[in-house]
Amino acid sequence: MSIKKIAPTLVAAAVATVVLTACQAQETKSGSAASGKAMAARTAQSGPPPLAPLGPPPIPPDNKQTPAKIELGKILFFDPRIGGDASTGCSTCHEPDQGWAWAEDFSRGYPGTVHWRNSQTIINSAYYGRLFWAGSVPSLEKQAPSAAKGGVAGNGENDIMESRLALIPGYRKRFKEVFGTEWPLIGDAWRAIAAFERTLVQRDTPLDKYLLGDKSALSEEQVRGMALFNGKAGCIQCHNGELASDQDYHNIGVPPNKRWEEDGLAQVTFRFELYAKGMTEEGYRTTKADPGFYFRGKNKWDKGKFRTPSLRYTAYTAPYMHNGVFYTMEEVVDFYNRGGFDEEGRTTAYPENKSKLIKPLGLTDEEKEDLVAFLEAFSGEEILMEKPPMPDYAPLFTKAELEAAQEAK
Amino acid sequence: MVVRVSTGRALLAATLGVGLVVTAQAASYPDIGPLPQLKIDKAKAALGKRLFFDKRLSGDAGIACSDCHVPEKAYASKEALSPGYPGNGHFRNASSLVNTAHKNIWNWDGRIGTNLNDMTREMITEDYIMNMDMRIMQERMKQDPLYVKMFKEAGYGEPSNGSVRKAIPEYLKTLTSTGAPFDKGTMSASAKRGMKLFKGKAGCIQCHNGPLLTDQKPHNTGVPENFDVFLDPMNHQAFMAFAMFQGIPNYRNMKRDPGYFNITLEKKDMGKFITPSLRELKYSAPYMHNGMIKTLPDVVEFYNNGGGKDSNKSKKLKPLGLSANEKKDLVAFLESLSGDPLTGPEYVWDQPYPAEYPVIENWTQVRN
Repeated sequence: MSIKKIAPTLVAAAVATVVLTACQAQETKSGSAASGKAMAARTAQSGPPPLAPLGPPPIPPDNKQTPAKIELGKILFFDPRIGGDASTGCSTCHEPDQGWAWAEDFSRGYPGTVHWRNSQTIINSAYYGRLFWAGSVPSLEKQAPSAAKGGVAGNGENDIMESRLALIPGYRKRFKEVFGTEWPLIGDAWRAIAAFERTLVQRDTPLDKYLLGDKSALSEEQVRGMALFNGKAGCIQCHNGELASDQDYHNIGVPPNKRWEEDGLAQVTFRFELYAKGMTEEGYRTTKADPGFYFRGKNKWDKGKFRTPSLRYTAYTAPYMHNGVFYTMEEVVDFYNRGGFDEEGRTTAYPENKSKLIKPLGLTDEEKEDLVAFLEAFSGEEILMEKPPMPDYAPLFTKAELEAAQEAK
Repeated sequence: MVVRVSTGRALLAATLGVGLVVTAQAASYPDIGPLPQLKIDKAKAALGKRLFFDKRLSGDAGIACSDCHVPEKAYASKEALSPGYPGNGHFRNASSLVNTAHKNIWNWDGRIGTNLNDMTREMITEDYIMNMDMRIMQERMKQDPLYVKMFKEAGYGEPSNGSVRKAIPEYLKTLTSTGAPFDKGTMSASAKRGMKLFKGKAGCIQCHNGPLLTDQKPHNTGVPENFDVFLDPMNHQAFMAFAMFQGIPNYRNMKRDPGYFNITLEKKDMGKFITPSLRELKYSAPYMHNGMIKTLPDVVEFYNNGGGKDSNKSKKLKPLGLSANEKKDLVAFLESLSGDPLTGPEYVWDQPYPAEYPVIENWTQVRN
């Protein structure tokens, strides 16, 4: 029974791989980022693209990978001086030992604030055409500054961050080596960070091994789970292709995080986000749930939609969903099994936009266990990394130089 | 006629080797005297007072206005250089805010020439000062029931950025000198002699005139650079960020504070700073834009020597040839310009701020 269901999928996988490859080639030529919608359209006739082994990440032609650039990006990624008060760098909310994310519902945010969405893992972020839960930026090069400058994230500004780099000899040397500039430019910092992030990929999960032919890579339970994933549970409708994400935006019924009702600091941020992202006055007054993808085009039918996240590396990235309301995969599966309702029967604040793809699944306890087991196959070994040593500040001028300048005044 | 007399005196003085070029005539300059009274809206000023001492007005909620503008220091910085935002330092001495509401130009380089509303915005949002996204600030205020009440009582409606920028200036109006011997007519004999020197031989009145004792104009007096600005990367990064944002050419290689040059980008303005008020100097040491002069006798000595070394130095400055007693008298006069400390609860918010933002109950039902 389950084998019959898998068989056509494998055929489809072969076909889809070709389609995807062609698709990528064309996009590389036109220089545009991968579009989930375009891919979906191309494969509409054959159904969603099947799960596939993860290939190498796309590298933008204008930001090639080099070892020196990657090393520089790594140091910058861990440097808290890339932020407002020199306490909050990329790794502050994307901690390697917290799944390169933050293990709370909302990201920890800048000191004195809390974020309003879940911090997403850096692992495999290289594959997304657009970043952030509402896809607000088109590249990792654009994601880094957006996070580093956001008021509830890094809260840095270009001038102070770039000035710090100028006062760190180790960076002056590295930036000159990598980018050929006399002084570090903040724009190049984002490029280096993006290059580093493109090395944080995981392509050797049990699922990859299985799809590449190692049938022993998945347990029987996981194989049954995969059949459910592709069939009865319908996960494949959105979690498809190499990344297990269609990179499209859906309202799946995730309920608002209750923290907005219970936590004053979270309420501050919630209103700030509405204000900062440009709601109407009435929208600002009355909105009580994250409108998500709505912010991109301000279309009411997009309220409550978020970009499908990859399922890869999720063993390490709990809690789940854009607002981190579920702490275990069991909860996630139960949520989908109920047709997009949590255990209290709560669902999205924008039910009118809830995806038609989300329906009660009627999974048995055993099926749920199989599905959860299969979801574990999306994760390989935990990717850990030690924080590299940070280069120190040093004065740019000597006292003698300053005295000479004073004399020359 | 007046000009001719001045010139004649100057020539005579020069011949005699006294060194003072222009014997200033009080009539030529706005007279020094008491400050005008300002009308103050009590509810707005009370709100401004709470805001002024509230760390939640900075990005990481780490510093308040009062951390750089310290009440005991006549609302100037404690050290030569202002501490700046956490994570960086600063490159100038925070000016005293006493009587700031009487001024018409703000910052040592005069980059705000409109009003305290703009100045408040500048201080709160500038990344090396308070680094606050004012949209977050507004929502913080709205989350504090006492603010909600105080904004309403002040007639502002709900807390907003715009009202913060009005309430703080209203509070600053309350920081007006009071009780200075100069204003009360209780100057010592020495101070009176000092005032004469101030207006005459010492020539201070040329720039330090009017009720604020400042012409509010830029001058280069040759104050030496504070090397701590450039030797401490924490301060230097604040300077560099400032200079980059202001569009100063070759700012990374700059080894001096450009001052008013920042406004015009013209060489003639290099190293000029807006004349500070001389009121409340008793509290606000160290002096000058970079805190390079520690005491009032040192300041007087600095001018007695004709100021510092700078090719762009004001022609008004020449060695003064003051005697030891004259210098003492001048210091006594300067001290007589300081009034009562503005450190009581009338000026300082002394209630604790809530450690957490209380939750708005029934949140899904009430309007934001």
